[in-house]
Amino acid sequence: MTDTRHTGPGETDALLDGAGRQASKMLEKIFAAAQLGAVFGQPVQSGSYTLITAAEVTSGGGFGAGMGRGPAPKPDAGQSRLTEAGPTPAEQPIGGSGYGGGGGAMGRPVAIVAIGPNGVTVRPVVDVTKLTLAALTASAAMLGLRRAMRRARKGMG
Amino acid sequence: MRSIMEIAWAREASAAPVTVDNVTVTPRSRTLVVRLPKGGFVWSCPTAVVVEQDGQARRIPIIDLTRVAQVGLLGLALLRAGASLRGPRHTEEPA
Repeated sequence: MTDTRHTGPGETDALLDGAGRQASKMLEKIFAAAQLGAVFGQPVQSGSYTLITAAEVTSGGGFGAGMGRGPAPKPDAGQSRLTEAGPTPAEQPIGGSGYGGGGGAMGRPVAIVAIGPNGVTVRPVVDVTKLTLAALTASAAMLGLRRAMRRARKGMG
Repeated sequence: MRSIMEIAWAREASAAPVTVDNVTVTPRSRTLVVRLPKGGFVWSCPTAVVVEQDGQARRIPIIDLTRVAQVGLLGLALLRAGASLRGPRHTEEPA
């Protein structure tokens, strides 16, 4: 995030162009994180088995930029005394611009491909934490809905 | 105006095959890309492995059990919500 003050329109445009270029490079890097190499891991030898991990990979990001200009604020009595020697604030254009962005990537194991003496098997990986959280959230939502319905019925009766 | 294909697209791709003894395993994955002017996201997931052995090829699907269970939970919650919204069954009061 950046902020500029008292910059000319040309400077601001250049700043925003630069920000756009940097953000595009950042997005390319984020997109590269979810490429094919990230989905399947390198084969690992374990005894008579060769294991390949398979994961779901998600990555994303975004950025934004903005600028604005406006009239200089009217000086109050205290400020006018301080700025008597220098240029008055009304003579200076007041403006600013800023840009910012963010992104991230996450992966979750889905399965393990095992190549062994008995052939090739795919063993699923179950994310118990995720499922427990989903079940708790669904239960809480259902409980809330049921209570709301009961209260509404009592209100009607 | 940008077409939908420029904004979002999906593709299937194969990773480098792994050969162990006389078995060749080729992992396959699906990627969904959404590209917006000021951002975007990529979602990749494994779909299957193609196993080639003794000149025969077979496809073993990779099922995301966590996702299946999540969708099942969501479906159950929606069904219960729908049943609750319909209200209790009307019972005839005794005369």
